Amino acid sequence: MGETTTQSSPIGARVPMVDAVDKVTGAGKYADDLTLPGMLVGKILHSPHAHARIRSMDTSAAERLPGVRAVVTGAETPVKYGILPVGHDETIFCVDKVRYIGDNVAAVAAESEAIAEHALRLIRVDYEVLPAYFDPEQSMQAETNLIHDDRPHNIEREYHHHFGNVEEGFAQADYIRQDRFDCPEVTHAALEPHSTLARYDAEDGTLTVWSSTQVPYYLKKTLAATLQMPEEKVRVIKPLVGGGFGGKSEVIPLELAAAVLARKAGAPVKITYTREEVFLANRGRPRQIVELKTGVTRQGKLTAVEARIIQDGGAYCGYGVVTILYSGQLLNAMYDIPNVKFDGYRVLTNKPACGAMRGHGTVNTRFAFEQQLNRIASVLGLDPVEIRRRNLLHPPCVTLNNLRVLSYGYPECIDRVVERSGWKEKYGKLPYGKGIGFAGSHYVSGAANPIIRSAMPQSTVNLSVDRQGGVTIFTGASEIGQGSDTVQVQVVAAELGLPLEQVRIVAADTARTPVDLGSYSSRVTFMAGNAAIAAARDAKRRMLQAVARAYGVAEEDLLMEGGRVLGRNGCPLSLTLAEAARLAAGPAGVLTARGSYNTPEESRGGTFKGAGVGPSPAYSYSAQAVEVTVDPETGRVTVDRIVVAHDCGKAINPMNVEGQVIGSVWMGLGQALQEVVDYENGRIKNAGLLEYRTASTLESPPVETILVESNDPEGPFGAKEAGEGSLAATIPALTHAIYDAVGVWIDTLPVTPERILRALQEKQQAEWKSPGTGARM
Amino acid sequence: MNKENIRLRVNKRDYQLEIAPNRLLLDVLRQDLGLTGSKRGCDDSSCGACTVLVDGEPQMACLMLAVSYQDCEITTIEGIACEGQLEPLQRAFCDEGGAQCGYCTPGMILTARHLLAHNPRPTDQEINEALSGNLCRCTGYVQIIASVRKAIELLEKQESGVAAAGQGG
Amino acid sequence: MSLPSFEVVRPRTLEGALEELERHGPDAQMIAGGTDLVPSLKQGLFSPRVLVDLKGVRELDFIRFDREAGLELGALTTITRLAQSPVVAEYFPVLQAAAKTVASPLLRNMGTLGGNLCLDTRCLYYNQSAFWRESLGYCLKKEGTVCHVAPGSSVCWAVFSGDTAPALMTLAATVRLASPRGEREIPLRELYVNDGWVRLTKRHDEILTAVRIPLSSAGWKGTYKKLRIRNSIDYPLAGVAVAMRWASDGVCQDVRIALTAVNPAPRLVEAAARLKGKRYDPSLVDEVAHEAIRTAKPLRTSASTMEYRRHMVRVFVRRALNEVWANGPHC
Repeated sequence: MGETTTQSSPIGARVPMVDAVDKVTGAGKYADDLTLPGMLVGKILHSPHAHARIRSMDTSAAERLPGVRAVVTGAETPVKYGILPVGHDETIFCVDKVRYIGDNVAAVAAESEAIAEHALRLIRVDYEVLPAYFDPEQSMQAETNLIHDDRPHNIEREYHHHFGNVEEGFAQADYIRQDRFDCPEVTHAALEPHSTLARYDAEDGTLTVWSSTQVPYYLKKTLAATLQMPEEKVRVIKPLVGGGFGGKSEVIPLELAAAVLARKAGAPVKITYTREEVFLANRGRPRQIVELKTGVTRQGKLTAVEARIIQDGGAYCGYGVVTILYSGQLLNAMYDIPNVKFDGYRVLTNKPACGAMRGHGTVNTRFAFEQQLNRIASVLGLDPVEIRRRNLLHPPCVTLNNLRVLSYGYPECIDRVVERSGWKEKYGKLPYGKGIGFAGSHYVSGAANPIIRSAMPQSTVNLSVDRQGGVTIFTGASEIGQGSDTVQVQVVAAELGLPLEQVRIVAADTARTPVDLGSYSSRVTFMAGNAAIAAARDAKRRMLQAVARAYGVAEEDLLMEGGRVLGRNGCPLSLTLAEAARLAAGPAGVLTARGSYNTPEESRGGTFKGAGVGPSPAYSYSAQAVEVTVDPETGRVTVDRIVVAHDCGKAINPMNVEGQVIGSVWMGLGQALQEVVDYENGRIKNAGLLEYRTASTLESPPVETILVESNDPEGPFGAKEAGEGSLAATIPALTHAIYDAVGVWIDTLPVTPERILRALQEKQQAEWKSPGTGARM
Repeated sequence: MNKENIRLRVNKRDYQLEIAPNRLLLDVLRQDLGLTGSKRGCDDSSCGACTVLVDGEPQMACLMLAVSYQDCEITTIEGIACEGQLEPLQRAFCDEGGAQCGYCTPGMILTARHLLAHNPRPTDQEINEALSGNLCRCTGYVQIIASVRKAIELLEKQESGVAAAGQGG
Repeated sequence: MSLPSFEVVRPRTLEGALEELERHGPDAQMIAGGTDLVPSLKQGLFSPRVLVDLKGVRELDFIRFDREAGLELGALTTITRLAQSPVVAEYFPVLQAAAKTVASPLLRNMGTLGGNLCLDTRCLYYNQSAFWRESLGYCLKKEGTVCHVAPGSSVCWAVFSGDTAPALMTLAATVRLASPRGEREIPLRELYVNDGWVRLTKRHDEILTAVRIPLSSAGWKGTYKKLRIRNSIDYPLAGVAVAMRWASDGVCQDVRIALTAVNPAPRLVEAAARLKGKRYDPSLVDEVAHEAIRTAKPLRTSASTMEYRRHMVRVFVRRALNEVWANGPHC
């Protein structure tokens, strides 16, 4: 779809986001900024126990409290739901059991927050406390007191994939390395706490919900199912969203609770989570234990990879089946690996459910793989960059597990990072305490297969051209701060040859905009972008046909540019867009166009069990060099510089792409160095931004971005993923830099100063025992 | 709980309100005055999304009892655009990608505004120091710092423009 | 998270403030910057009936330097003003260094010196929501009977987490406490009790009005080292303040070392006395740094391990001493 663009083309332009003014003036409205007349405050009662049976519940005192307008419990809302069709294991409120500290037991709508909080304290719940499971490896041994009765050994799902023959692969290897990596849970910590406002109109039985969601259409579906309403009676509107990162990419309990309360109270209800409740709702990146075995030849050619991965999923499935599959499937599509084996276990524990977080499923596996590759290179005396170059894919190709790779900017990413970072001059050559490390990563540009299998397009766009030539895009795609709206405006403006100001966008209102599956798995630019282009082309074709007919010229002799329809090849015609739009509107009086996108059949992967997760129409690639200073006495790491190259296919808006890439790198850095959800017996000890420490300006290094444009043949103007793929590489590049600085490898995250000091001590002790071993082995 | 009649001066406008003494300024701004530009991001006063200017100095509205700030000039993000024109910091945050999800943006801009009022040519380190109490989860701060830099440029241009105009007059 | 119901009284004078405290007795609590109290109110850690807002008592907001009396700092001095004070920077560098590390710029604009000195002790089992604490069954410091960091302990191990107190202790600061009975002045170190629940010797009806640093402490070299994960916002996980006066020949005439965030109270390190009358000697510095660990008893009250926090006390004492001493005129 690569199109030649003129200099003034909006493609490749560093233009502000279309909603930037609303954000810098405070005029933009997020869910918690909204109010309705007569609005009540909703509050949720959470379980104080990690695992307990609910013997009985008495809400009468709460109901009698003046100012309380509704109390709801699980008995009234027993319909099971879950983001995945295979994982319907949640109810709005617990019916028989609570499964984690923070599980949702009941909710209250009242005239003020204080009354609602008071009412919660009046609800009496009689619990029978059950033994609880907190560690996934112990949970997998469970025979009794299972978290869900239909999940033996508390295993939500396990997968066993074997492509090629790893036994043969290892037999061909000259060197085999096995390591165990432990990556604890981290969470999104988007700055906006979740918030939902719901209004139920009893007259016509309609429900309107404004919510901080990445997935309005899934929310609509789930609301209808759990409230047992016809789906066409439910309308979901997504206002501005203050960051998602996956934390708002499935239905979150407050969204359903607010709706149930609004219906029961007969008045609008808003629930906004406290920051602690955001942590309890969780859906963060699960703790993952990766046992990885890799074989290589003396020359560094990969012969086989075997991974055993255990994910600590928490108490419900959520996206879990997808998370564990991504962890295995995306071992592939980065390097040419002839034999791959994967055993993956998604395990239930009595903790808040994990889910999708930026780089969904791939981050910890990628850390493990890249770290192991760097360790292998160091043992074999190979340059870490060189070992990667020796294992590149040769696209177009289809991997062992049926992932189709068309565009592959990884080699160029590597080259450019090597050049910009001064890799050759620095690696292994910096003074003690200073180091540089290297790693790569990749990610999907949207999942080729939708969550709920369907032959219908994943993204659809309506487009109208008014009689004054103003263009309005109606899209279901969800802007969450990543630039979703802006990219659609840019591609439509480019396609129609219009200035950006002439294109408006109406997005993510299920009553007004056509369906789009949402903002997750980095699908929006690729899928909604292509749908928007298709709609724009439809409008363009209608206008050019109408003009051609009206003026008796050939359609091929017309083009749209600078807000006009112009003749070419000697045709002197020049019309405004308004004139063309009126002609195309014809007797109907209105010009509407439509476009959609669905993934090509060839991109949708194989047929084996679990093959549906991993395939994407295109993959982004990233390479990074991280430079650090390590204080060997305190273990403190200072990140001095990061150079990242990201293959985004084509940067439709380089400023926004850079923002996404830098944000990803920075979030990876947080996971690498300091972020961790700290549990004790299922209780989160740091459920706040004071103790869950996302970095301030002062720890945040300069990040230099290089955008590599591999021009994906199917991407909109060649574009593909930008917002997630660079996260994973930061972690192994950082640990590699620490190795380069002080000679220790850290396989457990986060890389705290304590861990570095301990590793340094162990290294010193080992060296005393066997003097003469090199520092860098 | 008895309510109190109080006077608040916000964005150069006087408000008479009857509120309970345990109300936080952040809630009064958002719920009673409809000034929702100040955001609640945390409950432990760590994030800075609620930053407002109190007599020109950035402070956190989530820590302030509204009844205790009656003698102060309070400025929120809604109070800084002049006659509908974006001010240079706002312009720069648009042009340099300083706002992604936008939730930290009002607080960031107000904090940066105080910095530039007292130190018109800060070093990068000084910008970092000044903004270090305002958390952002989207940007990694790189484009926020670039936005502040750009604002400094715009302010300098504005000033030299004013100076030139003054000389011309 | 709504706040409990309370009245706010806003006296304009110290006398008025003392009257309010006396009138309302244990139902009243003081508030100034609110940076410590308000988050705790949200968590249900306190439920005062009356808040005595001291912000209007302007007579407590001052910085006075007097060639005889030394430096006097009003309790309402904000941490920002303290950090920016030229007098503090010139004569009491350890205090400036500590003030600059307090929380974040926004919080320094609000927080006051009095509040920083009277900071409630902190613990991961205490600074939690009402829901959280209830689900655990509460703790010794609040509503419960068990200390979760030291089960069986009869004292509370929540840590004092202020930054300015250790700096002021190295300067032999005193604090003035006013009450309806009059005023008393005590050494700052005597303000604290090494029990996270008792915390302070200040009586309920007393207001900490001012801090005084004797002139004899002016001009001492000093620095403050703070362990934290973020370089802003965070409370200290350990903090070391060092102040020293040495003669022109480099001989240490006097020195004090104080630790914070590793005990329920800020503590002076006794081993510092070994440096008196000595010339700079790295091995002596090492010895004192090693001994300083004895004064630090951090338990699992915050992120980071006890071992690491103790290790860092040692490193910081050494580094701080080296910084203020090794670069003296003798070398």
